[in-house]
Amino acid sequence: MREIHVYDLIVVGGGPGGYTAALYAARAGLDTLVLEKLSAGGQMALTEEIDNYPGFEDGIDGFTLAEKMQQQAERFGAKSAYAQVERMDLTASPKVLETSEGTFHARTVVLATGANPRELGLPHEAALTGRGIAYCAACDGMRYKGKTVVVVGGGNSAAADAMLLRRIAQKVILVHRRDTLRATKVYHAPLMQAENLEFRWNSVVTELLHEEKLTGVKVKNVHTGEEDTIPCDGVFISVGRKPATELVQGQLELDRSGYIIADETTATNLPGVYAVGDVRTKPLRQVVTAVADGATAVHMAEEFLAGGV
Amino acid sequence: MAAMNLNKEQLQQMMNGDKPVLVDFWAPWCGYCRRIGPAYEKIAEEYGDQLVVAKVNIDEEGQLAEAERVEVIPTLILYKNGKAVDSVVNPGSKAAIDQFIQEALAK
Repeated sequence: MREIHVYDLIVVGGGPGGYTAALYAARAGLDTLVLEKLSAGGQMALTEEIDNYPGFEDGIDGFTLAEKMQQQAERFGAKSAYAQVERMDLTASPKVLETSEGTFHARTVVLATGANPRELGLPHEAALTGRGIAYCAACDGMRYKGKTVVVVGGGNSAAADAMLLRRIAQKVILVHRRDTLRATKVYHAPLMQAENLEFRWNSVVTELLHEEKLTGVKVKNVHTGEEDTIPCDGVFISVGRKPATELVQGQLELDRSGYIIADETTATNLPGVYAVGDVRTKPLRQVVTAVADGATAVHMAEEFLAGGV
Repeated sequence: MAAMNLNKEQLQQMMNGDKPVLVDFWAPWCGYCRRIGPAYEKIAEEYGDQLVVAKVNIDEEGQLAEAERVEVIPTLILYKNGKAVDSVVNPGSKAAIDQFIQEALAK
């Protein structure tokens, strides 16, 4: 029988957390592979300008930053494969990852599968992303200076987006399907008092109106069924995120929202398995916190590997 | 071989050849297009002997995109004997592009 190749460390997901883990692992002399289904960067690859990643004083676009992170890890010997993971056995020894490009084996696994913003699921939503549709006010808000924007959602992230946008945009309209915000109390008063903020309660967006770019939305009142049109320049969709954890369900402990339960050490409930970046339970999901996780995970993996397992 | 950027005449010429032609309709301002770029180059490398793997910039070839009824980008279309056999919009992984090609070639 042909002997199988066992990597010291396989990273699942080529975003900032994943490629930082690969960089640290490769520099530590570990035989390292990154499995990425499309291209480096994850959510970051769709961010036009990142101004809060230190060291790039003029900002940098997310796609370029991701390519740099990949090249840096590969410079030290990390390998990458365009592979979509289909199944994982994280309790086996070595751990088994079945992918579109064949089966891989590793002593340790770093899960950097990230999270994706939940979409409204309306026609043309993907095509209009970046042309009026956005999922992150902190990322794209500045493009709507002095304009009219709609925020969809009523949770904490929608409230935070509305708070930020009311200072940038001329007018903010918050569309929420209930008659009150689900967001924590601290947001309520400032939002209610904001002069340029209007609420559309009990309402859902039913259509994205557009030419080359978004021009407005159609909104329906869920009680009366009444529909009307709101002309606007941008729509910030803030209806939550979903972590990409379907493949580890039943193997790893997840919290109620589906995030992998792991603290600052990134260690999960399974030995030799680490969760980094947006996929793990944490208070702040940013590029800087993801890269920090990547470094920590490799530190933990090295300890685990040194333990002779 | 790298994926070639084609204009209308060049595409027409390729379609008259023996190999099926895969085209990625894209534009420089399109983030999703940029994101499939590296995987598409890998496709060009892997399928080079079976397919012509090409790209069309819809900002430069607006008429062509319109004629091919490309409304949303990135759109991939596979042509056999000069006819579009199938298309896919914004594939989410290289595996999804592989699957699209295999299914379209079998048609």
